[in-house]
Amino acid sequence: MKQNENHRIKDWQVHHLGDHAIVFVLPAIMHESIIAEIMQFNLFIESKKINGIKDRIPSYHSLTIIYDILLLQKTILESFTSMDLIEFGNKLLAEFLDEPTLEKENKLENEIIKIPVCYDIDFGIDLKIISELKKINMDEIIKIHTSSIYNVYCLGFMPGFAYMGKVNELIQISRHSKPRPLVPAGSVGIAGEQTGIYPMNAPGGWQIIGRTPIKIFDPIHLAKFKVGDRIQFYSIDKATYLATNEYSNN
Amino acid sequence: MSITIIKKGISDSIQDAGRYGYQHIGIQPGGYMDYLSAQLANFILNNPISNPVIEIHFPASTFCFESANTICITGANFVPVLNEKSVAMQTPLQVKKGDVLKFLQPIHGRISYIAFKGELLNDKWLNSFSYFSKRLEVGAKLDIINSVATPKDPDSFNDLFEKIETAVFKPAPFQFIPGPAWKDLDTSSIQQILNTGFTTTLQSNRMGFQLKGPLLNLMSPKSYLSSAVTRGTMQLLPNGELIILMADHQTIGGYPNLGQIILVDLPRFAQLGNDSIIHFSLTNVDSAQQQYQSLQNRFTN
Repeated sequence: MKQNENHRIKDWQVHHLGDHAIVFVLPAIMHESIIAEIMQFNLFIESKKINGIKDRIPSYHSLTIIYDILLLQKTILESFTSMDLIEFGNKLLAEFLDEPTLEKENKLENEIIKIPVCYDIDFGIDLKIISELKKINMDEIIKIHTSSIYNVYCLGFMPGFAYMGKVNELIQISRHSKPRPLVPAGSVGIAGEQTGIYPMNAPGGWQIIGRTPIKIFDPIHLAKFKVGDRIQFYSIDKATYLATNEYSNN
Repeated sequence: MSITIIKKGISDSIQDAGRYGYQHIGIQPGGYMDYLSAQLANFILNNPISNPVIEIHFPASTFCFESANTICITGANFVPVLNEKSVAMQTPLQVKKGDVLKFLQPIHGRISYIAFKGELLNDKWLNSFSYFSKRLEVGAKLDIINSVATPKDPDSFNDLFEKIETAVFKPAPFQFIPGPAWKDLDTSSIQQILNTGFTTTLQSNRMGFQLKGPLLNLMSPKSYLSSAVTRGTMQLLPNGELIILMADHQTIGGYPNLGQIILVDLPRFAQLGNDSIIHFSLTNVDSAQQQYQSLQNRFTN
């Protein structure tokens, strides 16, 4: 990855996404250095307090800005006459690239969040199929899944659902071609290079390997994870799961 | 003052302009499906146009008014009757204590709106009355502090009404702006999107409308890192079918993003019945924003 003298990755592009969003993108690679840079740019945009921006959505290698057409046009017109949105985006990028990178975040922020998962086959309903397809026994799948430290690359799909990666190649498996009508809250799944937890009962296509007793979203505290967090899973038995289950409905 | 639901509809809810600022943690924006009809209803009552309204599908709820108020019904025509007597839409409507509002049959459109005078006191979550899954049940109440402001004079909004009626109900192709995966489509799929009709299906709700039509293909199989989607995003499903994302859409998508239907055409899309045949046409950002702006500016006059 090319960097400038401020140690910024230079390969940014900006393009429209429909008529009320623009996207800033880096090369499409799932890597912690890319998401870290996306989050830096996200903070930079936040610090600009631009009137008309409704949402800033970081994800893997992109930052999407959802805007109010009338308000953002007004903001741009007031400060930069006759500049179109892409020019405006490029101007922001240029300013960002001129800034030196911030000091590495303090250690506390880089702490690893440990999440318990019960990999019992009653919960890990796809463990058997993955084991057969990948010719790896189930204990080994659990060992592989719990040995990686995952980065949160985005939240989406439903409130609080964190897309984490990268899953070890040995246990990567694609989504079910037809989503299940109901995946129970707390279910831990794999989809290709990604792993994630269902925050609530929902239809879904991920391959389910276990379930966590920990609530990762509620309407008051909102999401347990944020983009850029580092997470590691550890295995618990069914008794521990049942004793610590924070979900009331499953 | 309150409005009470005395019979449950199939999927009625309170909606406002939506919940923004939380999509980065996966919280869907929600909000009116047909924002133009909702804005019109508020405008006619002289409300701020982004006030909360009741969004109604058919079969609709039945409502009882516990004190006098002024309401306005817009959007789909489900034949509204007040105490069994037919009432006009797109105009201020006086209701008295004990009046019962029903909707008899769907004539055209998918979604109807009721705006009311006064301030809604119901619970908000993260600054919005729009809930992702909460529907109006029997016994649910809208608690309202009545306001005294007078509705607009009908002569002042007839012209606006005609403009909105055209934008929301007059058949026309749905304009879209190509998305990141557009260039990865094979040539025949591009031709099919631009020249062939697609049909709406029963798989249509506040999250998205799944379409039937020619099966579409990428030039070669390709996977995409998930990124943000918007209201109006045209996603290519693994089976080659298209889904159009609507107000309660998820915030992030991993399916190929072929394009986004522009904001000004989304109310018309939301009002499509099942088995409607639709067409797509290409447009650009400047044209889309001009169309949006010229319609929105009418509300400020």
